[in-house]
Amino acid sequence: MLELRGVTKRYGDRVAVDNLSMSVRPGQMFGFVGTNGAGKTTTMRILMGVLQQDAGVVLWEGRPAGPADRRRFGYMPEERGLYPKMRVKDQLVYLARLRGVPAAEAAASADRLLAEFGLAERARDRVDELSLGNQQRVQLAAALVHDPTFLVLDEPFSGLDPVGVDALAHSLQERVRRGVGVLFSSHQLDLVERLCDAVGIIRAGKIIASDSVEDLRSRGRPRTYRVVVGARPGWAAGLTGVRVVRDETENGDVARLDGAGALRSGDPWTTVTILELADGVDDQLVLDAARTAGPVREFRRVTPTLTELFREAVSQPSSPATVTPSEVHA
Amino acid sequence: MSAPLSFTQATRTVAARELTERWRDKSFWISTLVTLVILAVVLLLPTLFDDDRSYRVAYGPDTSPGLAAAAQAAADQLDVTIEEADLSGDAAARALEAGDLDAYVTSDRILVHEELDNQLGAALQTAHQQVTAAQRLRAEGLDPAVVERARNVPPLAVEAQQPVDPEADRRSQVAFIGSLLLYAQIIGYCMWVAFGIVEEKSSRVVELILSAIPTRALLAGKILGIGLLGLLQLVLIAVFGLGVGNVTGMVEVTSDLLTPVAFVLVWFVLGYAFYSAVFAAAAARVSRQEELQNVVGPMTMLLMVSFFATFYVSSNPDGLISRLLAVVPPFSALCAPVRMAGGLVPWWETGLAVGLMAAAIAALVVLGARIYDGAILRMGAKVSLKEAWLSGRRAAPEVSGRAG
Repeated sequence: MLELRGVTKRYGDRVAVDNLSMSVRPGQMFGFVGTNGAGKTTTMRILMGVLQQDAGVVLWEGRPAGPADRRRFGYMPEERGLYPKMRVKDQLVYLARLRGVPAAEAAASADRLLAEFGLAERARDRVDELSLGNQQRVQLAAALVHDPTFLVLDEPFSGLDPVGVDALAHSLQERVRRGVGVLFSSHQLDLVERLCDAVGIIRAGKIIASDSVEDLRSRGRPRTYRVVVGARPGWAAGLTGVRVVRDETENGDVARLDGAGALRSGDPWTTVTILELADGVDDQLVLDAARTAGPVREFRRVTPTLTELFREAVSQPSSPATVTPSEVHA
Repeated sequence: MSAPLSFTQATRTVAARELTERWRDKSFWISTLVTLVILAVVLLLPTLFDDDRSYRVAYGPDTSPGLAAAAQAAADQLDVTIEEADLSGDAAARALEAGDLDAYVTSDRILVHEELDNQLGAALQTAHQQVTAAQRLRAEGLDPAVVERARNVPPLAVEAQQPVDPEADRRSQVAFIGSLLLYAQIIGYCMWVAFGIVEEKSSRVVELILSAIPTRALLAGKILGIGLLGLLQLVLIAVFGLGVGNVTGMVEVTSDLLTPVAFVLVWFVLGYAFYSAVFAAAAARVSRQEELQNVVGPMTMLLMVSFFATFYVSSNPDGLISRLLAVVPPFSALCAPVRMAGGLVPWWETGLAVGLMAAAIAALVVLGARIYDGAILRMGAKVSLKEAWLSGRRAAPEVSGRAG
């Protein structure tokens, strides 16, 4: 288990990381999201020991993480970095050797990873002879070559094509299954949502939300439903414990086009209603009310996407407040 | 599957990479080859020019009969050979003009095309004097052989109070070539260190490496690996130079001559240690190769000044300024080997020079490492010395593992 407790880093007057605490369990994929300059990279560098924090502590297995622990972590820095003129395999072996892997094992591990990433034939090529995508693969191999106990990956998906993203996701998931904890940062929130068991949102050096995506979605916010019903707007008015957030006819424009206020034949009204249910209100009663009003085409619970949660979190001046999920994404 | 790497192991691993990667680098072999070719040319050139030591001379019909033989004998004394050509009159004049003949001697003059070579002139004039003098003596009724015996007085022996070492010239020549090599080698390999550091910084690989090993291990490994290659190259050049010199007879490999060579090697190690620490600290401050010249400029200037100072030291090895230059770092890096080769340097001066240099290196390594440490992970704009100094970690790298 990797843990940060009260970690603070200042650059002059600017506080880059502010009393930050979070933890990543073994076998957990932790997504680290935040706007540019929020402190993700600084946090990861502190984690890897390439930057010294001003206060706080990084714990590994409950003890302050030392160089020997960190050497066994795998790291992919924000700015990709490999020796441009060094041969691919030599480079991987060298990096593994620096992390304490004996030469023979390092060579075997490099071969294995190059095969896994489809780069076996490029082993003797110089890094700057590879395409950017392949360089990215070598970069990931460099983070994995010493069979790390924990992975710290800064924007590992940026610059990859969809096939590359899938391959990388697959190899990360495989390591997570073997019990390796993974902390990665990304701006691709859909990806984070798909892959991660837990997410930390950082803003101005502070973690403002950290939990499983599921808990982030539901905690502290009312249950929200989207109902599409063949009835006029207003059908839900007066239901006890139900707040109508939005109530609009979907074919209003069409109706007007038809002229003279007359509705077209077929379903005359289609109303999209967003409802918030107070605690203890039975959603089945709401469904009954909808059916009474007209044919129910859709009735479902709406949860905010990570993107929405993120926007909400970083735009709020203080700690999490409720957000209205936009039905566009529903 | 991994065991923690000690500082020494980490340093060794880095050094091994630096050595092998540069060994594979074409530019290493090109620079080695160019140096060897230049050295060979310097050593072989005099022999090529010296080759022309035989002359073709024709004697006119009116010259004394013994003149050719006497000229031959005089030439033998001067270690040149005279080949007699059977030409006279216009034929001889044409041969002179065509360059086939060096001189045409008549009873009262020596005809040449442009000018008379000194050695040949000496031989011919001596011969002319001898032959003419013998004729006159005989005319006076004297035996030339008796006169010759009487005149044959051995020269006075010279005894110097403080004899000049006959090998001193040779040794200072070697030291001069040595200081030239030292200058090129120190500047070349320190630039390699600087380029390597900026390469790591600009390619950002440094962050990956420093997450595995301490900053100082990376720095030490880089300096050691590249320096070892520089030393190797210098030894190769020295062996090649002495070998070529020996074969061509330019230099005779004696222990007297090996001393300045050994000095050059020792001072390469010291000079490289000194300058590489400074170059490394400077290079760590910038993130782009284009900015490198700016930060290493003062150091290359210092090296250049030291190099020019060696000219002074070489021409005036025992002057006060030379003695100072040969002792005070960083000038001693280039000046000490020249002075030590040129004059008889008391052992304490050599010891002092080495001691002061070692102390300077020790101080610089500490300062350089701290600046390197403080600047190496700061990307972007040039890091000021003050900033680098303040953020450099003073203590051992293990600090990074400590909480706090």
